[in-house]
Amino acid sequence: MNDLTIVGKRVERVDVRAKVTGGALYAADVQMAGMLYGKIVRCYDYAHARVIKLDLSKAAKCKGVVRVLGPNDVTKKEYNASVLDMMVSADMRGVLGDIDDQNIFTDHVKHYGDAIAAVIATSEEAAERAAEKIIVTCEELPVYMTAEASKHPDAMQFRPEKPGNLAFQLPEMAFPNNTYAWGEVDDSFKEADIIVEDVFYVSKQKQCQMEPGAYIALYDDQERLNCWTSTQMPKLVQKKLANLFELPMTRVRINATVIGGGFGARLGMVLEPETCALAMAVPGRPVKVLSTREEDWVTSPSRHPGKYWMKMGFKKDGTPVACDAKFENYKGAYYVDASGTAFTTGAWLGGMYKFESLRYRGESYYTNQSICGAFRGYGNPQTNFVMEQLVDRACDKLGMDPIAWRKKWHKTVGDDGWCMGVPYNSCALDECLDRAAEAIGWTEKREKYKNQTGVKRRGIGVAVMNHTSGAMPMLLEHTVCDVLLHQDATATINLACSDMGQGSHTTLRQVAAESLGFPYEDVYIATGNTDAAGFDIGAHASRTLYVGGGAVKQACEDVKRQLFERAALELDEDVNNLYMEDKIIHVKGASNKSISVLTIADQGVNNFMNPENGELIGQPGQIKGYASFFPPHNAPPFGASIAEVEVDMETGEVTVIELVNAHDVGRAIHPGIVEGQLDGGAQQGLGMALTEETYYDDKGICLNNSFTDYKMLGPSDMPKMTNILVENSDPTGPFGAKGVGEAGIVPPVGATANAIFNAIGIQILEAPITPEKILKALEKKGR
Amino acid sequence: MTSRVMRDFDLLLPESVAEVLDLLATHKNKAAILAGGTDLLVALKFNYSVDNVISLALVPGLNGLSFDPVQGLTIGAKVTIADILKSKVVKEHYPALWQAAKVFATPQLRNTATVLGNILRASPAGDCSLALYACGGSLTLKSKRGSRQVNLDDFWISYGLTARRDDELAMALQVPAPVRGQKSAFRRMTRTKEDLSKINAAVSLQMEGDVCMSARVAMGCVGPTLLRLPKIEKMMKGSAVTDGLLQKISDQVAAEISPIDDKRSSAEYRNKVAGVLVKRVIALALNGKGNDQ
Repeated sequence: MNDLTIVGKRVERVDVRAKVTGGALYAADVQMAGMLYGKIVRCYDYAHARVIKLDLSKAAKCKGVVRVLGPNDVTKKEYNASVLDMMVSADMRGVLGDIDDQNIFTDHVKHYGDAIAAVIATSEEAAERAAEKIIVTCEELPVYMTAEASKHPDAMQFRPEKPGNLAFQLPEMAFPNNTYAWGEVDDSFKEADIIVEDVFYVSKQKQCQMEPGAYIALYDDQERLNCWTSTQMPKLVQKKLANLFELPMTRVRINATVIGGGFGARLGMVLEPETCALAMAVPGRPVKVLSTREEDWVTSPSRHPGKYWMKMGFKKDGTPVACDAKFENYKGAYYVDASGTAFTTGAWLGGMYKFESLRYRGESYYTNQSICGAFRGYGNPQTNFVMEQLVDRACDKLGMDPIAWRKKWHKTVGDDGWCMGVPYNSCALDECLDRAAEAIGWTEKREKYKNQTGVKRRGIGVAVMNHTSGAMPMLLEHTVCDVLLHQDATATINLACSDMGQGSHTTLRQVAAESLGFPYEDVYIATGNTDAAGFDIGAHASRTLYVGGGAVKQACEDVKRQLFERAALELDEDVNNLYMEDKIIHVKGASNKSISVLTIADQGVNNFMNPENGELIGQPGQIKGYASFFPPHNAPPFGASIAEVEVDMETGEVTVIELVNAHDVGRAIHPGIVEGQLDGGAQQGLGMALTEETYYDDKGICLNNSFTDYKMLGPSDMPKMTNILVENSDPTGPFGAKGVGEAGIVPPVGATANAIFNAIGIQILEAPITPEKILKALEKKGR
Repeated sequence: MTSRVMRDFDLLLPESVAEVLDLLATHKNKAAILAGGTDLLVALKFNYSVDNVISLALVPGLNGLSFDPVQGLTIGAKVTIADILKSKVVKEHYPALWQAAKVFATPQLRNTATVLGNILRASPAGDCSLALYACGGSLTLKSKRGSRQVNLDDFWISYGLTARRDDELAMALQVPAPVRGQKSAFRRMTRTKEDLSKINAAVSLQMEGDVCMSARVAMGCVGPTLLRLPKIEKMMKGSAVTDGLLQKISDQVAAEISPIDDKRSSAEYRNKVAGVLVKRVIALALNGKGNDQ
């Protein structure tokens, strides 16, 4: 692999110039002739209510208003904004029990910000002013903000087909006893010398992507529905909209605009249904819908919050004998990703350590919170917060070094991975742990921070994680790619993979250039048009480079194969006797026999016939490569973080002093992009551990759906940080690469919690670990 | 809930103080004054609406930031937080104010927000306001009817409400010149570094050796307005500032404040840490230590 010329290089990102100059065209920037503006009327007075009267008449008379729409003026077909149901086979869909339970506009408000009606007007201002004239009269209903409240026998039922408000539990048919399990947990616990157990709470973290939702839709004169959106999943949203509006897919087109951050917030539909419904009401006129930050907050999904109980048993020598866990998440008002995260939260747990037996139950309960769905890590940060704190508590009781224990007992090559029955095929976690420990001075600091007495106390903690590159075999990972070889011997790579800022269009281009043997400048990634691009499951599960890159590589190799076949005919040589260098195909051992790619490409399109005699020259026809690619595995990334913190014993304030992240990335196609992913992940991981939480009052009114009171760490809050890339090629990844999009967020969560534990000798069971909670815990313990 | 579109208002652009005073006399409470706008524009995107916005952008003579060893510091209506940060005399003579400016919001906001705007906002959390409260000062309020001085001690009436009458323009703030042995400091606690304070404290102490001759001790986020802590001030007056005294002060602070639960913290927590914060801000004023925020 040492002869790689583009893979592994820090090439200029394809999007960087446009983004830093302000030239990038986000959906909000798109202007069209005759464009109308939609304003959605939402319920901000109640989290649960029945609309008993909706008076649209005054709004309809306002200046500039074109249409006013209530629940009866749009399709009443129910939908599910998540695309998870389209990532599995039909049989599996039935087993999971995903349901459609959302309406475009509702008369039964189920969360703060639920949509009731909309105005279409000639300007954004006119739409806003008219929307204020819509009179909504509601009857307040009791609110159920937690699983404990909504599973109560007297609670109102959200959906008749989901009794007890249990939106999802692991289905018996695929998961016996509704558990993800191996071994006999109850028996194994009898062998345990020590047991650690607690109930934790994981918070409702928000993605906080920079771009608030912006959408345009146009039902055009060919009766096609066009939607401009920064979705992460253009092809699945195309199908979802086709289903919702009962149109064939050929009449639905997604124009994927530049994405101002995704992190899962755009994994599926957000306001595409509403915007398209508005456009359908005014055929021929584009309609633009812009969210405020507050609106985006409560209409796009968050991380799943909830109660997470876990119990672990160990023998005196550290042998992990049993792990039992249950995650009851506060699902939110609609089904959305009720099944996915409830499963994966346990999958990451199962994929980490060699417990003799393990049992996990995942349950999603309807609540009157805004919806939960995908968020970077997809259940993994929640598991990291709980699992890693309990492991450290056990190590403390056992008198074992947390790194030494993890090195001995983490799963590795050949062990069952996060998906039982699919063994890990590569793992460099030991090297990650060793290098991270070395970089931060683990051994010395663990020793030094014993028996501190001052006001400021330091602590150092570690956490590890396993994740995935794509979700095979649980989900049907698939990307279609075609590569058009132009007559000037440059190539356009056409596929539907999104770049949500993670840099995938750059790394895919590197993979393409490397696979073709062309210079980076000679290939271009074309995306954004669902008319042209074949299927792609969408940007999720750290899979774009792994699966999309696999598709690009295969399609480029298809081009190369065709070039070699043509060259073999032209040169009258065996195809196996050829090699390419600088876009010239040579015959091995015969320096004078060669043909350039340019000649082949040009002959095929422009010069395939002799004008004098009509005889064919070379091989006529344009070369196009194609791949409909399914990855053979899920190339698991592993990672470790070590955090050092300082806790103020008088105020409970935590300062993160240093964070070292070491990740098994397979191969870094673009090291700078990998580092960027780890940096960004760490910012969100530290935030989840320390500050981030969306919260509500007792009536279900969201209190902090804006950056004023939802606090993310800013640049000045970030610690000294080191990222260590451990390159241990995965046998199935393109050029050995694994996905790194999500990995970075996970271990900083547990490492920070464990560093605090190391500093103060107390574990805080509820995320985020705020000074308020620390001080209370310190007082309870008597310092 | 914010709107993407502000409500209609007339933007008035007077070119002199006299014109401002005329407009205020005409529109009274139907007008808002725009200096930095960092509070006003945000409010206009929420539910606040006002018929007239009187911009000070074209009004000369309000940018003055000057120091006189006898008269003290004068801060004009358009002096920004960034101006304060750039001022060597503020850093030297009014460290509390400089420290508050240093952690105030973000660079973009510091470039725009004005010190007087922070005072007029009458927020119980205002950082620069709190530092100035500890330093002491008086506002010059001018209207067509004349001019008057209002001491900061009498200026904040309740949350968002001040002694300014609706035809008055706050022209400047005068802060007394520091006397010999005068020391001051500001400290705060926040959720993240770029945040509004969850609790803040500022002190101005007149020291003779170890003995505190007089003290002004002020706290924010612990009541409907910024508060002074008279019992603590009394404890300090005439006393040597020892570790023992600091501990006594620390234990006493909670009895003088009345914080509430809100989005940024809880009453319980504020009560617990208020004493620690006061102890530390005094230490910071005296020896420059403890400035680890």
